[in-house]
Amino acid sequence: MTNHHPLIFTLRDTISGDGFLAGITLSGRALMVKEDDGKWWTYGVRPGALAESSTTPEESFARFRNRYKEVLFDTAHDCKKFADFKREVERFLNEADAEEEQRWNDALAAVRGCSGPLLEPFSKLPRERPESSPVKVTVENLAAGGRKFKPSDNINDKLAKAA
Amino acid sequence: MSATASRADMERMLKRCAAGYTMRRTTHGYSIKFNGRTYPSMPKFDNIELGHIRKMVRHLQINRDCARQTIPI
Repeated sequence: MTNHHPLIFTLRDTISGDGFLAGITLSGRALMVKEDDGKWWTYGVRPGALAESSTTPEESFARFRNRYKEVLFDTAHDCKKFADFKREVERFLNEADAEEEQRWNDALAAVRGCSGPLLEPFSKLPRERPESSPVKVTVENLAAGGRKFKPSDNINDKLAKAA
Repeated sequence: MSATASRADMERMLKRCAAGYTMRRTTHGYSIKFNGRTYPSMPKFDNIELGHIRKMVRHLQINRDCARQTIPI
């Protein structure tokens, strides 16, 4: 049974900056691993420059998600204009970690080659093929003129096990 | 209890293995740059879990053998 769990997620955030309001939607990747310290570590693949841990997989991902949001907050604090914020967020989200990507791909291959039962909570996650949810980042200026806001713009965080 | 390293040890490792790195305090942590890459999510605590340092070393492509001489990642 594999100890490396390849995850696919979608996160949407609205971030206030200095005179701008930005909407960030990320379809990303992370690898969850139970390490020798006994903790579940969530290692970012996209974005690559992020990691968090906890004693349970659920809390590990929740902390990863919160750390991600804090990086967006810090970036908003540092950028005076929306264009700077967009460039910096896209750089952060697109800066890949090639080694982590390889580990993620290896974990996906192991999942696909394993017919045994998955551990909880991974067995309860929806399964998603990476091909149907490619890595994608959008950073929008929500305050741009004429934009109409709709309730359907709201989306829940989505977490799936790659399969 | 997770294994940790002090921030001072992490900075010692960076000085030794990542010449030219920069480290800047942000509201929620530290942002570390090296090799044209950025690791903006280092926790601000005095003692840092090794997993964070391991991930930073990987992401910034710091020589791992060098890093291990200071921190057991």
